[in-house]
Amino acid sequence: MSSQAIKSLALYKRVTEIDRGLGPRLPEAYKKFYKEWKLTEPAAVHSIPEEGKWRRDEVTGQVFPIQNHPIPVRYPAEYNNQIWGGEGVVQGFEKRHKYNRRVPHFWVPALKRSAVYSEVLNKHVSVIITERAVQQIHENYGFDHYLLKTLACDLKSLLALSLKRKILQELSQGCPAYANNPEKQQMILNRYKKYLEAYTPEEINWYGYSFEDACTKYKNLIETQNPVVPLKVVYRAELIEKLKTAAESAIQEDKDISGAASWIQKINPFSKKHET
Amino acid sequence: MLKTCNKITSLVHQLGNLLLKPEAVLHQQLRTTFILKRKHAAPLHKKGMPLKRLRAKHYIYELVKDTDREKKPNLDLILTHYVDNLGNPGDKVSVKNKFAYDRLLLPGLAVYATPENLELYKDYKRSEDEVVHSSPYAVETAKELSKKVLSVVMNMDNPWTIQPWHIKASFRKCGYVIPEDAVTLPAQPITGPNIEMEDKEFFITVTINNFETVDVRCRIHHWTTDLAARLPHIHEFWKENKGTVFPANDSNLPEKEI
Repeated sequence: MSSQAIKSLALYKRVTEIDRGLGPRLPEAYKKFYKEWKLTEPAAVHSIPEEGKWRRDEVTGQVFPIQNHPIPVRYPAEYNNQIWGGEGVVQGFEKRHKYNRRVPHFWVPALKRSAVYSEVLNKHVSVIITERAVQQIHENYGFDHYLLKTLACDLKSLLALSLKRKILQELSQGCPAYANNPEKQQMILNRYKKYLEAYTPEEINWYGYSFEDACTKYKNLIETQNPVVPLKVVYRAELIEKLKTAAESAIQEDKDISGAASWIQKINPFSKKHET
Repeated sequence: MLKTCNKITSLVHQLGNLLLKPEAVLHQQLRTTFILKRKHAAPLHKKGMPLKRLRAKHYIYELVKDTDREKKPNLDLILTHYVDNLGNPGDKVSVKNKFAYDRLLLPGLAVYATPENLELYKDYKRSEDEVVHSSPYAVETAKELSKKVLSVVMNMDNPWTIQPWHIKASFRKCGYVIPEDAVTLPAQPITGPNIEMEDKEFFITVTINNFETVDVRCRIHHWTTDLAARLPHIHEFWKENKGTVFPANDSNLPEKEI
């Protein structure tokens, strides 16, 4: 295979779960979220990326291009029920001494149970959280601001994304949690309304679902719009309709017959009801 | 002989197994936020091409920084309620991260000092029913004084009438510096020496910063230089109830906290 052919291969789009099965049929609103969640490169958490395009070796004076290879980070299953603030588990080796063999090592974030307060939802949520997530909440001046400012690729966790969806839905509905306090309600709407500009109502409804959940939601939506009726029900209804029409036609025929025979009854001298 | 050798060998094996367990060899793993870098730089790849396959040596990482071990700057907050030892509503305070989050932000006693909130609380008007305190420490001081039982030591030989300076001296012995004008004595004068009043209670009112008032329990104790006439020492005298100096005012006394 020529180098040109190899180069052209790199241009092809990598097939992901959204490109097969029910994926292509999902609405554009979900595809936009999925692209932000899975296909956008997240901010470096466990490494400091080198800036610029080139660097010069201080000793030899050689110039090298800068290529940042991200450190691979793993996210366990529990990750989706917690808020790790972009952190994950780094699996690698540690060389503790120059004469020692490398030792396998896992760098795991420190988790603690704490609570987060959502001003929009007016609720405290007990979650397992990392210190980095708490720091980011402080930097953004609140949990709601942190969720609404941060991209899905950096939030990653389904819990954080579902909370973000709920917050956006609450804002689009006009904060019903503060219905009994209109002044506070207006203040919160003014504070957070700028975040609604980036989303359409449909995008908000499809935001923060995993691919499986989105497929399930889409199936349910299709079923409600075009309900599948079993054929036995259709045939039964048709049969009942036929029987009804047959019965009605029989009654009609009887009426017609009785209508035709009435003039004979009038002139029949032996009939009980004698009309002259 | 052979049996004993076998026993020794098995013991050595058991000890070896115990000592060579991975838990004993590997040090305890730290669970914090890490910033790492590769010990060996990853190979360069051509433009537009996929990344080259990394080998095991490219997964050897060195710890650059542990962000959880760094000292974090204090958080600036604006109080929305009165907080003991911190301040009144509308005050801007700078406190440690953990304390700020757990004790102030989550319970809703404070908000972040954002430009918007600073503007909002700049001309903070207190509502009529809102309790205002003279200083952040006034309530804590009042609580502390209300728990004390002050021993007022008086002379057994010479006649006396309790004056504010007696109370001031008694407080000074306990480690509290109180001006005389902050002490309000009972309406009826207390005179002595009177052994019947020994260890009996009366209460005084202490005014803090000319604003908060707190009732403090006092007990009279007679003292003399004559060793023979001196009253015996009572261990934890405040736990014993000997009644009050003015029995009519029993109902006015606050409940004793021990």
